[in-house]
Amino acid sequence: MTDARTIRFTLNGAPVSVSVMPHETLIEMLSLRLELKGARESCGQGLCGCCTVYVNGKSVSSCLYLAQLVDGANVVTIEGINDGARLDPVQEAFIEVGAFQCGFCTPGFIMMARELLDVHPNPTDDEIRHYLIGNLCRCSAYPEIVEAVKLAARRRAAGTAPALAQELSA
Amino acid sequence: MVALMPVGNIGRSVPRLEGRDKVMGQAEYTHHLRLPGMLYGKIFRSTLPHALIKSVDTSAAKAVEGVFRVVTIDDIRTVIPHPYYGPAFHDQPVLADGKVRFAGEPVAVVLASDPRVAEYAASLITAEYEELPAVLDEVEAAASDICVHDELKPAATFPDLQHLKGRRGTNVALDYRLVRGDVEAGFAAADHVFEHTFRCQQAMHTPMEPFVSIADVRDGRMTLHTASQGPSFVRIEMARLLGWPENRVRVKVPHLGGGFGGKLYIKLEALVTSLSLLVQRPVKISLTMEEQFFMVTKHACTFTIKSGVNNDGKVVARKCRILWNGGAYADIGPRVTQKAGFTSAGPYDIDNVEIESLAVYTNRPPAGALRGFGAPQAAWAYECHTDLIAEALNFDKIEFRRQNLLKEGRPQASGTPVHDAAFEKVMDQVADRLDWHKPFNRGNGRILRGRGLAVGIKGITSPTTSVAIVNLYGDGSCGLYIGTVDMGQGSDTVMAQIVAEVLGLDAEAVHVIHPDTDVTPYDMGTLGSRSTFHMGTAVRLAAEDVLRKIDDLAKELGLPPNSNLPVSEMLRKKYGMQAGNIIGTGSFIPDYKKPDPETGQTPKATPFWGVGANGAEVEIDTETGEVKIVKLVNVVDAGVAINPRAVRQQVSGAAIMQMGFTMTENMVFRDGQLTNGSLADYKIPSLLDMPEQFVNEYVESRQQSGPFGAKGTGESSTIALSPAIGNAIADAIGVHLTDLPLTQESIFRAIQKKNGTPLPEDDND
Amino acid sequence: MLGFELSEPATLDEAFDLLADGDPGVRPMGGGTALMLMMKAQIFKPERLVSLRNVGGCFDGLRIDADRSHIRIGGMTTFAEIECSPMVLQHLPAVVRTMKTLANIRVRHVASVGGNLAHADPHLDLPPVWMTHAASIRIVSKTGERVIPVEDLFAGYYETTLEGGELIAEVIVPVRPEWTSTYVKVTTRSAHDWPALGIAVSANLQGRRVNDLRLVLSAALDRPTRLVAAENELRGSDLDEAALKRAGEAAVAEVDIHSDSRGSAAYKQHLLRVHLSRAMHSLVGV
Repeated sequence: MTDARTIRFTLNGAPVSVSVMPHETLIEMLSLRLELKGARESCGQGLCGCCTVYVNGKSVSSCLYLAQLVDGANVVTIEGINDGARLDPVQEAFIEVGAFQCGFCTPGFIMMARELLDVHPNPTDDEIRHYLIGNLCRCSAYPEIVEAVKLAARRRAAGTAPALAQELSA
Repeated sequence: MVALMPVGNIGRSVPRLEGRDKVMGQAEYTHHLRLPGMLYGKIFRSTLPHALIKSVDTSAAKAVEGVFRVVTIDDIRTVIPHPYYGPAFHDQPVLADGKVRFAGEPVAVVLASDPRVAEYAASLITAEYEELPAVLDEVEAAASDICVHDELKPAATFPDLQHLKGRRGTNVALDYRLVRGDVEAGFAAADHVFEHTFRCQQAMHTPMEPFVSIADVRDGRMTLHTASQGPSFVRIEMARLLGWPENRVRVKVPHLGGGFGGKLYIKLEALVTSLSLLVQRPVKISLTMEEQFFMVTKHACTFTIKSGVNNDGKVVARKCRILWNGGAYADIGPRVTQKAGFTSAGPYDIDNVEIESLAVYTNRPPAGALRGFGAPQAAWAYECHTDLIAEALNFDKIEFRRQNLLKEGRPQASGTPVHDAAFEKVMDQVADRLDWHKPFNRGNGRILRGRGLAVGIKGITSPTTSVAIVNLYGDGSCGLYIGTVDMGQGSDTVMAQIVAEVLGLDAEAVHVIHPDTDVTPYDMGTLGSRSTFHMGTAVRLAAEDVLRKIDDLAKELGLPPNSNLPVSEMLRKKYGMQAGNIIGTGSFIPDYKKPDPETGQTPKATPFWGVGANGAEVEIDTETGEVKIVKLVNVVDAGVAINPRAVRQQVSGAAIMQMGFTMTENMVFRDGQLTNGSLADYKIPSLLDMPEQFVNEYVESRQQSGPFGAKGTGESSTIALSPAIGNAIADAIGVHLTDLPLTQESIFRAIQKKNGTPLPEDDND
Repeated sequence: MLGFELSEPATLDEAFDLLADGDPGVRPMGGGTALMLMMKAQIFKPERLVSLRNVGGCFDGLRIDADRSHIRIGGMTTFAEIECSPMVLQHLPAVVRTMKTLANIRVRHVASVGGNLAHADPHLDLPPVWMTHAASIRIVSKTGERVIPVEDLFAGYYETTLEGGELIAEVIVPVRPEWTSTYVKVTTRSAHDWPALGIAVSANLQGRRVNDLRLVLSAALDRPTRLVAAENELRGSDLDEAALKRAGEAAVAEVDIHSDSRGSAAYKQHLLRVHLSRAMHSLVGV
């Protein structure tokens, strides 16, 4: 009764099928079965944001999400937000501003920052801080992160960004 | 010499070399690494702080489908006969050996190919104990006849810790003393004498990449993949434990997801090494965030400071007594005790000083290095004490400090003359950014406002060695082989800048080879703000060695002086094709003179001085004690900043971390049990905790002995941050708090006490 | 977290069949965030989890009754859906404001309103807000259904009055245009901490005069609790300092606050006085 089940879903635009046990979390499936490295489990309690991925266009903590529940869903990870040739504007802004040190929390911050910019295209400092409250950076690159989000917002507004909304709602 | 013009790598904010990998989530961390056939280990931990182990029942765990093996110390002994390790004392067993010394200590390990199976099985293990009385507080433990260890085995690994003996029959692991002048005579002659006691709490590094190590034994060699700040030490210590030559142990370290001093010396490495030897398969142990609190912590301490001060504001005598709560195992606590001890009289020029700094064992999780090596705990005491004296004698807080600060060439308490330490400059810059000399509205209603500043000093671990190899390949491109671990501080980039500056390259074109003890040469460790200075110098020397060899090659090839022929062409001429290397090596160890064991006096205690000042402006809601940090200013002496943005980030990041240790972070124990070991209950700073105004700067200065004038800066903004905030709160409410962290409740209690309406003490539970 | 079955019934009847009566190893699952935490901590070792995400019907979505007297929020509605609902913003603005400091956006994307109530953690922010809004819940089971006030759901620390096989289908919130409400999450350590106290207030005011009100304290007690004595001090009186002081003292006297890592009992009692008064003041300002 506790056997593995094969689930099918879309991962970064491509269909995949994976056999998973009921107890497996989404982060375990992504890292152990699908060899993705960008989302990482750190606090294990949904507080730090290191394991952030999108499920059906919404950010979730993949450490608190059972893998079997993404059956039929559209899952996007940090590996799926750029086309390989060109980085996402948020990624570019993080590099330009230097919005990270050790880099362990960085993919999670970038995933949340992209969603933040979809909700608040021209965010205030307060909106940024509140939207990213569930992301922790022990190196404390917080001032640079806020700056990078604002830079990315300006870049997006200038129309230099790829069509993100499309991919999120896919 | 071939003339290669510098292209301006120094003083340039070169973006991190690995930036693209990090934003794409592709940077390598040990966290992700999996090896074929690998088993996962899950640890069963003690539930008591001090107890004899009567029995461990592993039968239920062994019966779980998928469990490969369950291991206790008896099994470990079959592969490592003396399974005790540590950088100062060989006091820590690979797994608990007959006795547990803190609640959370590893007692057994379950191995399985599925980590969830291992975790489940570990939860089925039980142990029977005979409980022993526990000592948790450092003051109590220093005098207690309850001994955490019956016997101490000094490690004698590091030259600065070779004198360790420990006091038998006590919990004192190290008794550090410094004597300068005659402190009692100084007090007797002084116009005023002040004495205060301050306390700091136990805290934790909480790197976002939790501790993780993998050991892989095969063909008589051990390869460790580990999130470590000190791969060379890991190799030496593992070779010692195994009784193998160093060349049979290989330690590889990719990027680190934060370290902050935690991932030093031996953490999980001895355990996974033993396990891999036992089962002859690769073994990985990844701690959870909760388990990290049982690995290593920041020392709690109690510091009594007494000063003799004359009417003219001159401090003439100072006596410091610090008890450091080292927890159950010494780790590097003795060095913390010693390093923080010798600067514990502060950055002041005082003729009569006496310091006693004791490392004390307790039944708490072990304490080790954490960003500042004890200097922030010491500064919490001496800089609050400084304000208390200035207030009592009605001196201007800046001028009082200025009068006593160490000036260029003057001897510090250890007798070591102070050079290239911009104490006044950093203090004045903080004062300027706080508008210190302008009128300040302290408020008079519900909201009170205050401001404070503080200046800190830190000595650097010495003597330590760094070795670097620079390799120019056949096409002239450059590889740099170093054991420095880039854990986010940006060392890869800064070291590349140094090579590039010497060789006339672009830093961006240099490839930095990450620590791999089979490939990269020795480095004492990435710790204590030492890398830019020590490894930076070694890298510069290695690059200069390359220049000499290019020069030699030019002569060998009969090239005219200043021919400017590219290296690739020279090698092609020599070998007839694209081939060969030009390998330069550099090795650096700074001057050091061992301190006199009785007085701690030495002319060379440290290769350079860590220097920082901090300032804060706060608002207090006097009805609740709620405190808002309106402005936080951090200014350090970085020497010449090789990468200005990286320096500012170190200043800013270190300050926020220390702000956490000042305001919120606190490991809370009840009956020896940690009650808040998770990020839900142990609160590290988040975006909402950022000060409204946050200023991070460095002053113009130069470390004459440093590479291109640079010095280390990873800790400088941590040193005096807590007292800057504490002094600002005192300025607002008129009372100095003595204990960290500065919680809302402690502030409110102080206000109520001052108003004569003290809040009842907690008698609820 | 091993060896359990995850079921996703497509209908309510199937769900009832899967939820064996009285078996503590079988639990319904909403968004699952709280359950996952308990399972990872090995506090809860399930045999079967019954996800309600596909049962649909009244469990999903937000509706307002035809007479506009009540808003009905399906038990599987996520916090984010509530937060983004213009209807909730219009009629229950305090609920939307509460969301902003509740956990984080990823949790709000997943956590469900029914699961949140059934979890009965006293630190949760929404239950006291539902209580001051005089909300009820509709509970369904194989044998029928019942409607109870939210406060009657909580039996103690992580304990509810739900029987085995009962599910929270809807939260029913009366629309009361003459009432104003607020929730104060009082944190004592970091801004993103669990509350030391949660203070929810709702009042029907006429200028400074309190026609009626509801006060609820959470986090500092084993369950969210109406501050009845404090309410009585204020009901029918003017919101002046004397009345607020009396209400604060009454509140402190009527509940038994214990010390914990977020504050001593004495300090939290003091914070209750201060923040209750401030919350009432803020209502007048609204």
